Amino acid sequence: MTALMGFYVLIWPALTLGVLILICRAVIRDRREARKENRELV
Amino acid sequence: MTVVLLLLAFYGGTYLLTLGIRKKNEDADAFMVSNHRVGFGIGAASMTATWIWAASFYAAATSGYTYGVSGPIHYGLWGALMILFIYPFGRRFRKLAPNAHTLGELIHARHGSSSQLILAVSNVMGSVISLMVNFTAAGALVSVLSPLSFQAGVIISGVGVLLYTLWSGFRASVMTDFAQLVALMAIAVVIIPAVFFAMGGPSELVAGLDNLSAEQANFFSMDAILNQGAPFFVAVLAYAIGNQTISQRLFAVNESHIKPTFLTATVGYGAIVIGLGMIGLMALTLGIQPLDGDMNNLIPQMVSGYLPPFFIALFFVLVIGSLSSTADSDLSALSAIMMADVYGKNIAKGKADPRRMLLVGRLTMIIATVVGIVFASFSLDILVMLVFVGALWGAIVFPVIASCFWSRVTNKAFTTSVVIAMIMFCLARFEWLPLAGATGLMFELLASIGGGIIIALMVFGFLGRAAGAISGVLAFIAMLVFATGFLREYTVLLASLTAYGTSTLVCVVMSLMSKEAPFDFNTIRERVGNYDAVADDAPQKGHDSGKPSGAPGDHAAGQPAPQS
Repeated sequence: MTALMGFYVLIWPALTLGVLILICRAVIRDRREARKENRELV
Repeated sequence: MTVVLLLLAFYGGTYLLTLGIRKKNEDADAFMVSNHRVGFGIGAASMTATWIWAASFYAAATSGYTYGVSGPIHYGLWGALMILFIYPFGRRFRKLAPNAHTLGELIHARHGSSSQLILAVSNVMGSVISLMVNFTAAGALVSVLSPLSFQAGVIISGVGVLLYTLWSGFRASVMTDFAQLVALMAIAVVIIPAVFFAMGGPSELVAGLDNLSAEQANFFSMDAILNQGAPFFVAVLAYAIGNQTISQRLFAVNESHIKPTFLTATVGYGAIVIGLGMIGLMALTLGIQPLDGDMNNLIPQMVSGYLPPFFIALFFVLVIGSLSSTADSDLSALSAIMMADVYGKNIAKGKADPRRMLLVGRLTMIIATVVGIVFASFSLDILVMLVFVGALWGAIVFPVIASCFWSRVTNKAFTTSVVIAMIMFCLARFEWLPLAGATGLMFELLASIGGGIIIALMVFGFLGRAAGAISGVLAFIAMLVFATGFLREYTVLLASLTAYGTSTLVCVVMSLMSKEAPFDFNTIRERVGNYDAVADDAPQKGHDSGKPSGAPGDHAAGQPAPQS
């Protein structure tokens, strides 16, 4: 039960971290592509 | 003093960030939706940041504190699904009108002004309410954490957001959304485990479960489902359709990235909001009472009670970042509606001057900020406005979606169904008719249709027409069996479902009875175009929409498109 409740609370910040990394990597890739195509990021 | 410095650093830093993308001559299309090619990363970040507003944290923690173990899920999950469930319909919107700036433009091309303006009015009311709520949250936080007054907090946040959004509009909004989201997520990643372990960790949480009632300790609590989950579930499609901030991002992201963008935003929103909602659950297990009985004090109490002052500063940035990202999106949404839906389609009528459009957009932002500040400063009661906006969003869900898939829906069916649905909503919501006997039964029947149509549309979005129809019929029968004689006790839910059911019924019957020729959906692409024609940008636009540059869609609205 203790492990389950620990997982239940901590899974959300872990997921948040995963999404944060995914978004940051994607933005770096977006920026690289935009530069290659000589256009602005937004 | 620290709070003032943090505010200066936050809004100053955000403003400086927008200087990097600022152009001397912004063009009207970019001001509304960037270049229709916003990448996956920026798009997902912006979508997530926009959907998370200040109330998300407070409400999720309140839900955790009130409903226990399942409370944060019943707040965050349904909010996240609002993003997810719009994406299959969003792909259809984008396919029909690749160069649109607002959903209203698409509806204008499909039906004309009356239907478009109904949608635009609902969007405007929603964004004004959102602005007011966010400025109010800033005022409350500043007044609690600093010697500054509530009004000072409201004005600083309003002016701060306006300053960095005013010149570049949507471009500034999405760019700053990314920075704000990174800060917001990083802080959430640190704060949630920090509070959790500082309060004693999993063992303390499990020990504290004894303090919970049976319902609060139950993950499948009916109390939480009926009072928190169900009303949110009903609102899933309505919020998504009625919110221009979502449509704007839908029309802005690269068409091939719509799916990953919306999926990532769904997970991101859910993780942050449910995670922070867990702090409410922690407070409940510890038997903490909210200061002054105000549930909004739960997270600040937990953070200040268990963590060093530095974390209070982080929490402050978290709230200011979330409310600012939503407020700048609301300003961008409002300006796009006034630029495209009101000026472009109804005042200029095909002869829109992009420079004048920009002026309209910026003036809209200034006026909206003033309205938001005034409403927030005087703590105006917006409950009635909130009730009507919710009903209007519910009433337009079926007509809007059906108009994009079914060629027989007419303008008259759209407008009449929304008007009648609003009347029926008021009759039920304010109990102008007694909800007993045959009348009560009639409303429950309409609500059952409403429940069926919500399920049908959700399933249809992902699994197609047949699955949608079967699910809808099954949901309708289940509602008839379980809701008859029971739903009338829950007037808010009954009225909301009645709005869905009535608009669906009237829209379908009137469309079937109409003798108008079926609508040709290909004409929408020709009627909804860009307002600027910048020579070096034309090939990209042509590529986006799958047609050669200079094709009708780019100038279809008949705009002269002078160089800005």
